[in-house]
Amino acid sequence: MPVRRFRDVSEMEDTLWRERGPALFDAIRRAWEFAAKTVELRFPPGVYKHRTIEEANAQTERWAQANFEAFHARRRGRR
Amino acid sequence: MDYELTRRVLAALHEHAVAYKVFGAVALNLHGLARATEDLDIFIAPDAENIARLRAALHSVFRDPSIDEITAEDLLGDYPAVQYVPPSGDFHIDILTRLGELFDYASLDTETVDLSGTPVTVVTPRMLYEMKRNTVRAKDRGDAEALARRFKLEGT
Repeated sequence: MPVRRFRDVSEMEDTLWRERGPALFDAIRRAWEFAAKTVELRFPPGVYKHRTIEEANAQTERWAQANFEAFHARRRGRR
Repeated sequence: MDYELTRRVLAALHEHAVAYKVFGAVALNLHGLARATEDLDIFIAPDAENIARLRAALHSVFRDPSIDEITAEDLLGDYPAVQYVPPSGDFHIDILTRLGELFDYASLDTETVDLSGTPVTVVTPRMLYEMKRNTVRAKDRGDAEALARRFKLEGT
């Protein structure tokens, strides 16, 4: 593959777009599998009810923080 | 997130005739940008029968009695945003009937995507751009800029 040059890092992401079809769906599958293996996200099972989207986003942020801390705890444990 | 499980959820929504519209990161994926995500965002038509069909669809995929806690009383009342985490605990489904004052189910333009034989109702790139560009979250604004470049939506 030839070397490609970018003026801004945001342009690099533009090269990742694919036309809809089997190649895209395979790329989605691989991206999601890679993330699942490397980050191992966990969310407490159940139903969570929110009065606003801001409340829902706040819950998502709490889960993100918990997963971030768990990820680093696992890394420390492997050292 | 598990691709095959997500496809099964979307297939169940179709098979149970749930009126839904996918938005968020899964929509971005289906429009061409393969990217990891942790949730499936769906708007659902705000009526009690549709919410009953949603529960039936989820029950067909997950063996989980907590699905019955997803009720029309909540989604049509004080709780227009419900997050459901299946027993596997590795992703969540965010279910909305309203999004602030700007978006509701009827206002969302959609197209149908054939996902490995499963028809999926997904908001259009322009609609997704409109939903993301006015958000406070930096990553959503970044997605909006990427959508604008890809689909030439600048200045809209």
